Amino acid sequence: MERETELALVARLRGGDPDAFDAVYGAFNSRLFTFLLRLSRRRDVAEDLLDETWLRLVKHARRLRPDTRLGAWLFTVARNLHVSYARSRLLEDSASASLIGLWPFSVERSSPFETAAANELERRIERTLAALPVASREVLLLVGVAGLDHSDAADVCGITPEALRQRLHRARETLSKALARETLGEQAVVKGMTSCPSR
Amino acid sequence: MSEPLNRLLAGLPLAEPDPVRTARVRESCRARLARSAPRPSAAPGSRRPLWQPLIAALGVAYLIAAVAQAVAVFTSNF
Repeated sequence: MERETELALVARLRGGDPDAFDAVYGAFNSRLFTFLLRLSRRRDVAEDLLDETWLRLVKHARRLRPDTRLGAWLFTVARNLHVSYARSRLLEDSASASLIGLWPFSVERSSPFETAAANELERRIERTLAALPVASREVLLLVGVAGLDHSDAADVCGITPEALRQRLHRARETLSKALARETLGEQAVVKGMTSCPSR
Repeated sequence: MSEPLNRLLAGLPLAEPDPVRTARVRESCRARLARSAPRPSAAPGSRRPLWQPLIAALGVAYLIAAVAQAVAVFTSNF
């Protein structure tokens, strides 16, 4: 989104213009939902957090600063909501686990993207992304997938641009290595299958 | 990071939320935003509330009556 267009939209949002809301909604809704879905890996949670993000925008529209960067603002709200959700979930899980004992509550579910991936490579990336630590995953999602620039992504994560650059570098390395490891693992399996003597 | 990995990440598909729910939330947000919009100030003279001049007129009438009564009491003593 052009900066001038963005500033005009912010001014109209501050004035309570519903058409400006529509424009912002159209520009960011899918990207926000995708971000939340890849973070939470649950469609129902992502939809709840998405709704809350938009409600927060409406609630704070009058108090937006005239130079607000909408992408950074919206992704910050979405990320903070996810952090709050993850914290409450952690508390619930630990409370339940302490009651029930050794039940493995931290079972990882597969990402909705993984099951819907168009091809094997996409599926592999989704799987690898989903397995990354949240801090690495979120910077890759913000910069690599949602297309935020480094400055906005740093604002969203609440870190300096330099810290973001380092975190992004490490996340990309981790992703590359994990992808390579998975590819090698699959090749080894295939090799093992083909070298099996037939009887 | 290698350029192919950049491209792969950028090319990952976007997801769409439930359209019915989306439409409902969108409408709700539009309505809330419209309600929160500052009301345009009325032109001078138009749509001015009636109660203000009414109370002013009653106040002035009361004041005139009070002054008149005070004057009457004052003059009746002389």
